[in-house]
Order: sequence, then structure tokens, then C-alpha cells
Amino acid sequence: MKFRTFLGAVAVLVLAASSAPAADKDAADTAVEAAKKYAGTTISIVWEAGLQSLDPLNYSGPQWEKLTGIKVKVVEVPTDQMFTKIMQDFKSGAGAYDALNVIPSWMPDLARAGALEPLDKYVDKFSYRDELQDIAAAYRDNQMQYDGKIYGFPDDGDVMLLYYRKDIFEDPKMKDEFKAKFGYELAPPKDWKQFDQIGQFITDKMAPKVYGAGFFRTAPYPQYMFQERFRMEGGKFFNANTMKATVNGDAGVRVFKEMLAENKFMPPGVEQWNFVDNLAAFLQGTTAMTISWPPYGRWAAGYGSGEEALKWVPKSQVAGKVGYALTPLGRPELGVGFDLSVSATSKNKEAAYLFIQWLNSKKTSLERVQLPYTLRDPFRLSHYASEKYRALWPDAPAYLDTIKKSGEKGLLDLSLLQQDKYDEAMTKAISSLWAGEDPKAILDRMAQQFDAITEKVGIENQKAVYKVWAAKPGAYPQ
Amino acid sequence: MRRHFFGMMMTVSASLNGAEQRRPSRFGRMLEDRLPYLIVAPAILILLLVGLFPLIYSLIVSFQRITMTENDTSFVGILNYAELFRDTRLWATLGHTAIITAIALPLELLIGFLMAQLFIDRMPGRQIFVALLVLPTVISPIVAGATWRLMFDVRFGPIGQVLSFIAGEPVRILWTVNPAYVYPAIIICEVWQWSPFMFLLLLAALSNVDQSQLEAAEIDGASYFRVLRAIVLPAIAPVIAVACLIRGLDLVRIFDIIWALTEGGPGSMTETISLYTYVQGFSQFETSYTAAISFVVIVLLTLITTLVLKRMELVR
Repeated sequence: MKFRTFLGAVAVLVLAASSAPAADKDAADTAVEAAKKYAGTTISIVWEAGLQSLDPLNYSGPQWEKLTGIKVKVVEVPTDQMFTKIMQDFKSGAGAYDALNVIPSWMPDLARAGALEPLDKYVDKFSYRDELQDIAAAYRDNQMQYDGKIYGFPDDGDVMLLYYRKDIFEDPKMKDEFKAKFGYELAPPKDWKQFDQIGQFITDKMAPKVYGAGFFRTAPYPQYMFQERFRMEGGKFFNANTMKATVNGDAGVRVFKEMLAENKFMPPGVEQWNFVDNLAAFLQGTTAMTISWPPYGRWAAGYGSGEEALKWVPKSQVAGKVGYALTPLGRPELGVGFDLSVSATSKNKEAAYLFIQWLNSKKTSLERVQLPYTLRDPFRLSHYASEKYRALWPDAPAYLDTIKKSGEKGLLDLSLLQQDKYDEAMTKAISSLWAGEDPKAILDRMAQQFDAITEKVGIENQKAVYKVWAAKPGAYPQ
Repeated sequence: MRRHFFGMMMTVSASLNGAEQRRPSRFGRMLEDRLPYLIVAPAILILLLVGLFPLIYSLIVSFQRITMTENDTSFVGILNYAELFRDTRLWATLGHTAIITAIALPLELLIGFLMAQLFIDRMPGRQIFVALLVLPTVISPIVAGATWRLMFDVRFGPIGQVLSFIAGEPVRILWTVNPAYVYPAIIICEVWQWSPFMFLLLLAALSNVDQSQLEAAEIDGASYFRVLRAIVLPAIAPVIAVACLIRGLDLVRIFDIIWALTEGGPGSMTETISLYTYVQGFSQFETSYTAAISFVVIVLLTLITTLVLKRMELVR
């Protein structure tokens, strides 16, 4: 009996010892080990053209080839053509792309069409489920699955942050005058009324040297701002029973009127500002507040300023003076984002999957989100907590904490079948708003366009997709 | 096969060269009749393949239900064409296209003509000036649009600065946002780029006007406008017609300049038929509907071109 117990104990120890290395292996190592059998092959990946693609071109692609012997061909595609290219490849059956970057709001269309490979079986086969839990809930719970299946790994922590000038907000004279006028402290605005008051106050005091705020007012950002503010004002995009658009109600009109009024304390011509115009104004110290994606915060701190690829970014005049906060009302729009997926027509599905698992893994993604020249933003709990990242510049801890909080409370982009059509209607409506058209008339037209799109897609089809989307935790504020 | 071909060619050669000496065979005569057709047949076949096949294919697609987001490609008859008539945005874009064409074309013609008049006489440095004036036409329209966008920029654009200098106070015109200025902005850019094209054609035409007629009119004491109306315009009318036709068709297809300046905005206010077709095809992924729009536009343009050519008696 004792001998048998001894044998049993030995067997357990042997088993434990033999399985220990496997348990120690992280998802990145697992992917590398499994991918070595595909050495000598080439996989292609669709990546957003420009800065984003410098990640696979300069860093992850060569690294993967070194580790596995698999070559990575990067297919750079402008954002507005990515959906078309992916669908064209799928429809033709050419299988030109193996791995894909997919904007999460496209997932219903791509998954329904069959263009994306379900990833669940690979996730289990290559033990990736545990590491997926490290992805911040806002992305993991909202941007990873369609119809209960995993179609992509959230790989970019896009979320809107409020950036403000600490030196102005902490200036004793400004603080005293502000408190005397409005009866509360000059601090990052908690709601849009405060935002307007602070913006107007700073403009009155400091313009034309510094304006209270500046925004990226051309497509696509304003429609994300509208989506966020509209829902925070209690608006719903559709009547869930009839799928009739309800964007033209009081909430919509109120948000449109406020957005238009805010232009008055912003720099002249803000209606024409694009991403770079707004970035330049903030980095040069012309605006005291702005809302944008996380790269603004890194660049404002001067992170990556020596990089050749970032030469177009104006030299920051506000390094060390920028504070980070949640957007007014505290539920920022997640705004775009990227998932890593595998093309259903790929001839190298497993190799492509292993590459995206390795890219998305804790270990590799931490390095990637720190690349100064790309636009990938932190999206994992381990990124937010990374000591290495938190030491990159003096305010990096505050930056990461704000991204984490924003991510936790982030609102999802509307994501329906043929979402691009709804997005286009919103974008056009907002450009009409800047042109001075009556907000109610614009929203009525937008609602009509929404209804026409829904009707064309099929009311019942769309209702089912909307129901799934609206039930997600980040769809509407609870 | 090759021997047969050479034999055939020799027969043909013989039938062509020695026709007077002896009566050609029946086969030779048949070949003689058809040889020109046989020679041009490959070229015509290639042209048909390249030109006509896409047209026929797009016509077939326009009767289907193809979109980028659905797998259903069934035939739907004239559904897409019926939808065209209900699509108010489509008709609005045709209206915008007509407005731009109706304003820009006469302006380009007038400016081109005045410039040609200015440069018809010999003057020092004429060649250099002409070369400089023609420069805008060699720029890509998208670059021209982007350049004018910068020129119109409310903060850094020279146009605002000049206007502010003249007015003596800051002039802030949102050229690409304000509905009152978007059409002027597009037309200024369009006219700037393409008036030199008119200028070049008209300069060449004016140079060929019969000098003896002009001298005779001058001796007779005819006024400038009389000479213009009675001699110059009739002489250059065919060139004006062709220039207008080329530019008119270009204006109907206008895309790049508007894309760079306004992207069809504010709202859809400056969206032309080309922009709308692009948006439907490549942003909204409505492949069959886009094919239907393209086909209607092709038919419309063919009709207009034929009518114009007929009216100008150029079809002869």
C-alpha cells in the first residue's frame, strides 16, 4: 500500500514536472513554438496604411520572421478602403490575405458574410483563453465576438480622452477669478455645461494667444462625439421594437445645438479642423482643452519626438503641462479601434492565427503599444500596470490610469449591418450643422436616412443585430 | 498553315498587282474584298473586348442585387433603375453637376478667349508667359484642389490675408464650410486650372484666322466687335465647339477638385454625380446600384454629346 502510494506520488511529481514548462509558457511562446512548423512560408496581413503599419513593417514582422522563419507581407490599405479590400478578397475567393485588421463596428457585416474565420477552436488549441481575460473589459466584452463566436482579438485601446493644460487650470489667478465667477473650482469639466463655461472663460481671458478648447471637427471624429453625447443625454438611436430612428428627438437637438455653440469659443475656422490641425493647435499651446485618441497624450509629452516617422508631428510646446481626464459626463466614446482577425479564405489559417495570437499576447503587445511611432494604444490590464510603460515620461502613470478608467467606462460605437451608411449619414449631418443649417431639420433628415438604410438592410435583420448590440454593457449608459 | 497563309497572301498580292494582266480567281476576289476587314479585325476585337465588355458586364450587373456586404447576387430586373428615380440624392447631385458646369464652362471659355486675345500679338517673353500660364493644366486636379484648400484656409491661407489687408480688418471666410462660398471656391479652383486649356486651343485657332480678311476689315474701318462677330468667331467656331465639348464632359465628371476641397459637403451640398457614384460604389458598397447609376450617366452623356455634335454640325 505504501509502495503504491509512493508510486502514485512519483507519478504525480513526474507529470507535474513534465507539464510545468507548458504551464510556464505564455501565449507568445506557445504561438512561436507552434508556428515553427510553418517556417519558410509567407503570410500576408492587411494593416492600416501610414503610421500604424510601421509596427509590422519595422518591429513585429521582422521579429516574427526571426522567431519562426515565417515571412510577413504587410498589405497597407487606407482606412476607408480596408473593408472593401477585405470583402473583395473574400468574394473573389482569392485568399490574398491571411490575417486582417478589422474595425470592430464592421464585425457584424464581415462575420455574417463569412469573411472572418471563427477563432474559438484555435484559442482553445493554443491555450489563449486565459490571456484574453487580461484585455480590458470594454474591448474584450464588446469588440471580440459576434453571435457568440470569437472573430477577432481587440488590439488597440482606442478611447477618447480629455486633455487639458494643467498650467492654466492651476494658475492661482485664473482659479480665483473662475471660482468668483462660477462658484466652483477651475478643474477638468465634469459635464458639458462646465466644459462650455471653462472654455468660454479661458477664451475671454487669453484669446487669441490661447483659446478655451479646440476640436477635430471634420469627419470622422464629430460623429463619435455626437454618438457619445447623444447617449449621455439619454438619447437612443432606434426604437428597439420598430427600428424607427429616434435620433431626431430632444436629446439629439440639444447636443447639436451645444456642439454648434461651442465653436464660438474655439479658434476661428475650427469647423475645418482635421486631426492634424487640432493636434498642432494643442501641441503649440493654442488651445487649453481638447478631446482625442490616446496618441495625443504621448505626443504632447514629447514621447517619440526624435522618431523619423513622427517628424510631421509639431514639436510639443506643452510637454509636462498636460493633464488627462475623462471626457465630460465620464463615459467616453471608444471610437474606432482595431481587432486582429483571420481571413476565412486564407490558405494559411493556422499560421495566420498564430501570428495574431503572438501579436496580441501580453508579452508582445506590451512592446507594441510602447512603439513611439505607431498608433496602437494600451488595451490590456497589464499594459496599464506596466512599470516599464509608467516610467516612459513623468506623467505616464496618470496617462495610463486615465486610459484605464476611460476604457472601463467607454461607450461602444454603433455597430449594425452596413454601419458605414449610418456613419456617412451622421458625418454629412454634422457638416451641415457647421454650415449653419437648423439642427432639428438636419436631424429629421438624418432620421429619414437612417430609416431608409434600415429598410434596405431589412428591418427584422437589423432589429436582431441592434438588439445584440444594445444589450452589450458599453452600448448605452446604464 | 503558314504555307497556306503565304499562298493566300501571294494570291492576294497577285490579285492586287496583276489585276490588269489576268482575271483573278473567285477566291482571290473574295479575299480582295475582305482583306481590309481581316486586317482591322484583330484591332476591333481588342477594342470591343476592352471597351464593350466592361460596358456589357456593368449592364448585366445593374440588373443584379450585388453588394459588398451580401452574398445574394440574384437578378432583380429593373429594380435598381426604378430606385434611381426615387433617389432624391441622385437627382440633387445631377443638379449640382449642372450648376458647376453651367457656371464654370462659360467662365473658362471667356477667360481662355480673353487670354488668347492678349497673347495673339507678338510680344517679348510671350513663349515664357504662355508656358507659365499653361502650368495649372499639367497639375493633377487632386493636387490643385488640395492647394486651393490651403489657399482658402481661414488661418494661414493667403486669400484671407489679402482680403483682410484690403478690408482693414480680419476677414474670416470659411470657404469650404459656409454654403454661400463653397460653390465659388470650387468654381475658382476649376476655372483657375482649366481656363489655360481653353486659352491654348483658342490661341491656336486665332492664329489661324485668315489675316487677309482681318486686314480688309481693318481697311474698311470695321469696329473690333464687328470683326469679332463677322470674321473671328465664325472662323474659330469649330474649335470653340470641340473645346466646349471636351471641357463640358470633363465638368460632368468632375471629382478630384471637389473631393479635395469639400468632399461634397457641407452635407451633400456640393456632391456631384461622380462623387455620388464613388460613394455608392466604394463607401456604401452598392455594386449593382452603382452600375445602374453609371449606365444612366453613360446614356445621358451619349445623348447630350450626340445632340451637341449634331447641332454644331460636327458629325459630318
